[in-house]
Amino acid sequence: MIFNDFIFYTLAAILLFAGIRVITTRNPVYAALHLVLAFFTAAGIWLLLEAEFLAIALVLVYVGAVMVLFLFVVMMLDINLDKLREGFWDYLPMAGTIGLLMAVEMVMILSGKYFAPTTVASKSADYSNTAELGRVLYTDYLLPFELASVVLLVAIIAAIVLTLRDRQDSKSMNPAEQVLVKKQDRLRIVKMDAVVETPSVEDPKADKEKS
Amino acid sequence: MLENYFPILLFILVGLAVGLGPLVLGKIVSPHKPDSEKNSPYECGFEAFEDARMKFDVRYYLVAILFILFDLEIAFLFPWAVVLQEIGLAGFLAMMLFLLVLVVGFVYEWMKGALEWD
Repeated sequence: MIFNDFIFYTLAAILLFAGIRVITTRNPVYAALHLVLAFFTAAGIWLLLEAEFLAIALVLVYVGAVMVLFLFVVMMLDINLDKLREGFWDYLPMAGTIGLLMAVEMVMILSGKYFAPTTVASKSADYSNTAELGRVLYTDYLLPFELASVVLLVAIIAAIVLTLRDRQDSKSMNPAEQVLVKKQDRLRIVKMDAVVETPSVEDPKADKEKS
Repeated sequence: MLENYFPILLFILVGLAVGLGPLVLGKIVSPHKPDSEKNSPYECGFEAFEDARMKFDVRYYLVAILFILFDLEIAFLFPWAVVLQEIGLAGFLAMMLFLLVLVVGFVYEWMKGALEWD
């Protein structure tokens, strides 16, 4: 058990260090990379708690997808970093109050009867946390599970509605539409009387033909 | 239980050594004589044109966000696949309903042309 505790405190120390660096470092790229480190160590702590599926999902989803998007935004987008830091002291009272409230809430939750630390017996080697999760997720927690799909659907539609615009300057062609075009789409035949051009008198060539 | 993770710990240590080894070796072995010309930023031999940060088409983020959403959908499939034998038909139908709702989103995305790149 001593070795377990040693690993836990090592990971927790790295996690705290990374979390503090996320909010104190001046370069947002370093902040994002420290957040990746925090996710990795949190996954390690979850592995200690035998929550293997959650740990792997944290690494795959957050580190593999979300943080890559974050890094892409931070590194590529033209953000004025000095402007982002403006108004720190103006926002401090509001942000400090909210932060304090969240800290108080966390202490209340963690010291309450639902999340109070209990000693969990170590499971046997063939215990599968993934199977345990699946057993309750698709039966007892069926409604939250289906609601999760609705939340994802809302996110899909919101992302498309917010960002998708028809580009006016796009010069791309749709070959299918080009092939399907009919004669009457492009060609307009106008019926009109024949116009005979009367030869002008001043034209010397026309005079010659007359005589 | 932790003994099962010993190979993974070994993997992490070997991976760290492989990653850090060349860097540390290069730092120790190579000569280190910086001058102002060597330390200046360069772009294939000529002066840097402009800042690397620029405005990107929002479609990059749209594709990335859609990827993350369907990535999450896949994450829900793993525990389901592990216990499918135990939860039976009800569990199977639950997942089909879940997938159906997301297929609605997928069809919407396809029809809107969010996956087209022009």
